[in-house]
Amino acid sequence: MKNTKDNACPMQKNEGELLLSYCAGSLAAERVAEVERHVGVCPECRSWVEGQQTVWQALEAWEVEPVSADFEAALFARIAREEKAAGWQRWREAWRRLLPGGLDWRVAAPAGAIALLLVVGLAVENPFRREQAEAMVKLEAREIEKAERALEDLEMLRQLEPLEEETRL
Amino acid sequence: MAVATFEHDAELMLRVREGDAQSFALLLAKHRGPVIHFLYRMIQNQAVAEELAQEVFLRVYRSRASYEPTAKFTTWLFRIASHVALNHIRDGKQERNQESLDQATDEGLGRQVASSAPTVEQRMLREVRLAEIRRTIELLPAKQRAAVLMHKYQEMGYAQIAVALECSESAVKSLLFRAYETLRAKLAHMAGRG
Repeated sequence: MKNTKDNACPMQKNEGELLLSYCAGSLAAERVAEVERHVGVCPECRSWVEGQQTVWQALEAWEVEPVSADFEAALFARIAREEKAAGWQRWREAWRRLLPGGLDWRVAAPAGAIALLLVVGLAVENPFRREQAEAMVKLEAREIEKAERALEDLEMLRQLEPLEEETRL
Repeated sequence: MAVATFEHDAELMLRVREGDAQSFALLLAKHRGPVIHFLYRMIQNQAVAEELAQEVFLRVYRSRASYEPTAKFTTWLFRIASHVALNHIRDGKQERNQESLDQATDEGLGRQVASSAPTVEQRMLREVRLAEIRRTIELLPAKQRAAVLMHKYQEMGYAQIAVALECSESAVKSLLFRAYETLRAKLAHMAGRG
């Protein structure tokens, strides 16, 4: 790799990639010695390599800050929120599939109101009916009790009748 | 080794696709550092970098169902990270970050001056030097900056960077050469300063 007209240096041949790989330390071992020999005799490439090594060292000096301790917790919280939202979305999608025309609120709202009224109506109606039935049972029991007492009175009068006749005689 | 890592990461991601949350936690633990550091160097604001990194990993998680190991996992991951970073810069949020960078640098210098010990001058010089490096990187066009950061810190090859930046390999070479040319010109005075 001589710097001659026939066999120009990597820079002249626009092969800076070779020198860049050399500076980055990613050049194949068998080519390193070749580049080093060339850089030793070519001032232009030597200058390029020195400049690139300066950049490399400067970038290596750029340290980074430590990652926040709560980074992962915050990410998992975001994922949990997304999963929850996705759950609701799936639920809505399921309803949309059930209602082919989609969930039209102009229809759904009155239907919901009617359903609510029915539920409330049944809840209110049932105790009333139960109370009525209980009152009827109590009333019937009282009537039976009255009839039994009347029968007992009649029986007692029937037993008293022969005694009255004996007294008259 | 690289092949083993490739297979391992892809395998973990395939497990995530099957609903294994533990595999996602493993991938996160392994790659969160490089992703956050890449975003930090792109945006130069730690809080914003972490916020964007959350977005990156959220996108990874969202894409689990459609994930196919057609490329190296890190290439796919940095494709998402580059996309998020470039979008953030494109949306014009960079100026605000620069203000905070200036503020952080000033505060940093203030702290150095206030501290005791004979290393004050050295520390100040180091801070000034780092601020200059950061500023020089930040002045690069966003795509050149992303290419340099992936090349230098993630040790990604041209083909990987091309996939991450959604361009051809020759375009990546062009981006890198122009970027390094600018950096060599602007940082040349740092030669021999350790």
